[in-house]
Amino acid sequence: MSQYRVPGRGRVDTSRPVNFTFDGRSYRGAQGDTVASALLANGVHLMGRSFKYHRPRGAIAAGSEEPNALIGTRRGPGRFEPNTRATVQEIWNGLETTSQNKFPSLKWDVGAVNDAAYMMFSAGFYYKTFMWPKSFWNKVYEPFIRAAAGLGVAPTEEDPDQYASRYLHCDLLIVGAGPAGLAAARAALAEGLKIVMVDENAEPGGTLLSEPQARIDGRPAWDWLAAEIAALKAAGVRIMTRTTAIGYYHQNMLGLCERVTDHLPSLPADTPRERMWRVRARQVVLAQGALEKPLVFHGNDRPGVMLAGAAQTYLNRYGVKVGNAPVVVTSHDSAWYAAFDLQAVGARVQAIVDTRPHVREDLVNEARALGIPVRLSHTVTATSGRLRISGVRVNPVSGATVGAGQQIGCDALLMSGGWTPSLHLFSHTQGKLAWDDDLSTFLPDWTREDCVIAGAGRGLWGIEAALKDGAERGREVAAALGKPGNPVALSVENDRPGSGVSMKELPTDRNPGRAKAFVDYQNDVTAKDLRLAVREGMRSIEHVKRYTTNGMATDQGKMSNINGLNIAADALGRPAPQVGLTTFRPPYTPTTFGAFAGYQRGAHFEVTRKTQIDPWAAANGAVFEPVGQWRRAWYFPKAGEDMEAAVRRECRETRASVGIFDASTLGKIEVVGPDAVTFMERMYTNPWAKLGVGRCRYGLLLGDDGYIRDDGVIGRMAQDRFHVTTTTGGAARVMNMMEDYLQTEWPDLDVWLTSTTEQWSTIALNGPNAAKLLAPFVEGVELTEDAFPHMSCVQCTVAGMPARLFRVSFTGEIGFEVNVPAPMGAALWEILWQAGQQYGIVAYGTETMHVLRAEKGYIIVGQDTDGTVTPFDAGMGWAVGKNKPDFVGKRGLARPDLAAKGRKQLVGLLTEDRSKLEEGAQIVFDPRQPVPMTMVGHVTSSYVSDAVGRPIALALVEGGHDRMGETVHIAMPDRVIAAKITGTVFVDPENSRLKI
Amino acid sequence: MSIQISSLTPGVLVETRAARVSTQPAPGRLSLRARKPALPALGAALGLTLPECIGQRAAGDGTEAICLGPDEWTILTSADLVAGLMAASAGVDQPHSLVDISGREVTLRIDGPRAAELLSLGCPRDIDGIAVGEGRRTVFDGATVVLWRDADNSFRMDIWNSFAPHLAQLLDIGARELAAESA
Repeated sequence: MSQYRVPGRGRVDTSRPVNFTFDGRSYRGAQGDTVASALLANGVHLMGRSFKYHRPRGAIAAGSEEPNALIGTRRGPGRFEPNTRATVQEIWNGLETTSQNKFPSLKWDVGAVNDAAYMMFSAGFYYKTFMWPKSFWNKVYEPFIRAAAGLGVAPTEEDPDQYASRYLHCDLLIVGAGPAGLAAARAALAEGLKIVMVDENAEPGGTLLSEPQARIDGRPAWDWLAAEIAALKAAGVRIMTRTTAIGYYHQNMLGLCERVTDHLPSLPADTPRERMWRVRARQVVLAQGALEKPLVFHGNDRPGVMLAGAAQTYLNRYGVKVGNAPVVVTSHDSAWYAAFDLQAVGARVQAIVDTRPHVREDLVNEARALGIPVRLSHTVTATSGRLRISGVRVNPVSGATVGAGQQIGCDALLMSGGWTPSLHLFSHTQGKLAWDDDLSTFLPDWTREDCVIAGAGRGLWGIEAALKDGAERGREVAAALGKPGNPVALSVENDRPGSGVSMKELPTDRNPGRAKAFVDYQNDVTAKDLRLAVREGMRSIEHVKRYTTNGMATDQGKMSNINGLNIAADALGRPAPQVGLTTFRPPYTPTTFGAFAGYQRGAHFEVTRKTQIDPWAAANGAVFEPVGQWRRAWYFPKAGEDMEAAVRRECRETRASVGIFDASTLGKIEVVGPDAVTFMERMYTNPWAKLGVGRCRYGLLLGDDGYIRDDGVIGRMAQDRFHVTTTTGGAARVMNMMEDYLQTEWPDLDVWLTSTTEQWSTIALNGPNAAKLLAPFVEGVELTEDAFPHMSCVQCTVAGMPARLFRVSFTGEIGFEVNVPAPMGAALWEILWQAGQQYGIVAYGTETMHVLRAEKGYIIVGQDTDGTVTPFDAGMGWAVGKNKPDFVGKRGLARPDLAAKGRKQLVGLLTEDRSKLEEGAQIVFDPRQPVPMTMVGHVTSSYVSDAVGRPIALALVEGGHDRMGETVHIAMPDRVIAAKITGTVFVDPENSRLKI
Repeated sequence: MSIQISSLTPGVLVETRAARVSTQPAPGRLSLRARKPALPALGAALGLTLPECIGQRAAGDGTEAICLGPDEWTILTSADLVAGLMAASAGVDQPHSLVDISGREVTLRIDGPRAAELLSLGCPRDIDGIAVGEGRRTVFDGATVVLWRDADNSFRMDIWNSFAPHLAQLLDIGARELAAESA
């Protein structure tokens, strides 16, 4: 056993040794150790280099607030994590850890030249130094700074771990399983009440784990704790450990991040690494305790300098003595106990240095009895040692005078500047804080959430006070939940209540302007930086924070905020509450992206909607494209075909014989009710009153601004029933818009909307042989020009399946859309595919659909329109019912701007050099005009057209309808392309091919 | 995992010690919309008393109804009764809308000792707030679903067809995750 492991102390199991590596060297710890406690047990304090000055650093804390001891952890390929806090990461056999921010080695680091140049790197250094020349910023300064700075190394391999998430609802959520939280749970317990208690540590107990000397209800603290945990669990309280409450959101929604496997030597199957819990709690008790403040003095960051409370935790919880000859420097009573505890296990405490002139007599007497030298009214002005502290310089202070320094040798310096209530989550609720003069800190005042603070979180000190307050708060929330609550009377012996004073940086006899007295360890911000920021004109604490980066590191200023505020307030000559506090934001501790993403990654990244015919497409070599949430077959290449060849073939064969297309994604809405036709008249631009049952019509939907929003073919299935189709992407939007009008504008109409998009599988057949192919399968209607003309619809059966058959064409060929109940779609497709073989049927995808429709000048909403195109701009004035009294968008269309000359209008383009234009390319009238040229429109659709024998394009061009035959120019990076304006219909303008 | 889920091929998708997820055969399914005064007549035509409180269910002879909104119900029946119910309701002269949605959705049965917890992976609603014998329209993993609670640990989830593969994937992951947890 190492000389720093104290037999009989701590909760680690030294009979179960654990081997791990740090920077390639093997170390032995005990089951229950963190990386930090295990390294300390091996006498290793140096754990990292600082961010800016690359100063050697050791663990300063024992918990999640640790700013210095950030390490990389590795568990095989892809499982590397930078910036893990060594004070949190539990060790297991085989764990690999590495230090950060060092080159070539932790003990000898090149970047430490920054430390020698300390006086140069003052607050605002980057702003001041890298201003000129301006052009250097992107290419020189920023890349250099990014390479030199930064914390750890981002992983490069894909993370193979699973992450999970769950929702949890409870009556009471208690954050923190220390004495206050435990007492709150006990006091609130009631039949039928769902209570959840979370703690970020590996085991519940909080401060009790570090104070085994206390006796609660006559029992040793740890015995009481074990019994209480068991009792609460038995009573149904859910206790979640290794689970950090990272954020407090609206209406008592809290995010909890549970670390599931990081402490396990082997990864169990089907188990996520971390799990994000989204908790909705009726009441919340925040019992997060308090965080110890460092003291600010020159050299307060040398490895071996540590918070006194952390030293106590290392000793009492992990059985590790952080030094054999420590010195304690403090402004709070609590650190005296750290000295007593260490002395009791054989360390020789060299001195207790207290900044206060008067300290409780019992403490001074006990120190004397233990033979510990006491120096009251003293300050610390320097530390010495290179990679580990070897001495501390202490000076007497009398009034404003700092006396001569005296060197004391030591191997650890334990400091305490008092305790800051942990108010991060409370701050997330936008709760108000109140300044407490006695404690020189902010305390929780008021929040709009159903939440109370208990224990040290509101400035109470000592186990008994925390238990008592927890019990009171527990009863308070029980009452809020309509329960009586339970009396909890707990007596505590060997409690260690105490008090202290809050300091700014400690007084020194040397030039404070040269002191490396760190306030924010993680961002390397010193007291000098804060004072400089104030001297340079920063008045708001928010400006001071951003100028110096104090509190802006990943630890969110857990240690630095109050010290920073005290110093800034002193420099400003104003009281702290007037200077104010910066806002804490979630997450409370650094949280992985994986935890936030949860299940939404890889194959489960987002919903991919698939039609019933999708498996056939996949089996037949389709290339897919995403359309909204859907994946659709884009084209079906045969061996050796590229996209252009495949699409050309699909187009040709469809126009030559027959093509089959999966149109199931089209939005469908069933509009039913006695007022259905009235509703349709009002929603769409077209007239519907005279549309007979069994007929369908192309419908155009505008926004109330008069611009095209959606379109689709709509069939009248019965007097009071319409089968509306919408674009694939517009389905939900159109449904919402219709519902909106129905509920807010026309609640008097007796009509209802039902989404039937997914009720139907829709198969489109197009081509001269479409009717011949389909007719043998159809019962109930003859597919002749007379019995079932273009734009008809009917309920019938197709291949024995109940169907809604539409005769419509989006290609200019004879066309049908067969709707059958969705699950039957795959079977019908297969039947038609087999029967179509005699006609050389071709399956086509969305690209061919786009080409075929463009050849006929049919628009795609969202491609040929962009939300600023009216029906008249699109050349579709014929779809607007001019005699209708009203429809959505009618008034918009009457606006002068929408009727003005020179609007961009949809036209066709044929390039003179027969090249294919680029969609989105800008159009000018005169290519010789000076730059910047006047853009007069852009290309909206462009395809190679087999039917036309050259590329075709659609474009929006200013006044285009009056410019037929004129030439416009499309400027490309390498050349200018001339194109002639034409009509939008390139194929069969007489529609002769639609006839059976 | 790219599973095709269809009510035409019912069967177990995943079964662990925590939960079992299985595709149910397609029932006849109708969406009814109407105002309050029409309810007695429509109930008579459909052969049950339509519940008026959102989330409540009622059963008739071979039919089951759930109230999903102030003017919305889903009616379940056997596939061969759909035409008859459509015809019966057509005779009701109060304004209403009845639409056959039998093909729109696929129903998954989710049961097993931790079925309710399995739902908490993707449903922000408090599952405990749905009483046995009730149901809710809610969301699961980003998609709208209707949840029917048939017993403490037995649920039905109605999902629009195209969302089913995605949702089933999470249920599959979750059933294994929960099983590993209780191992």
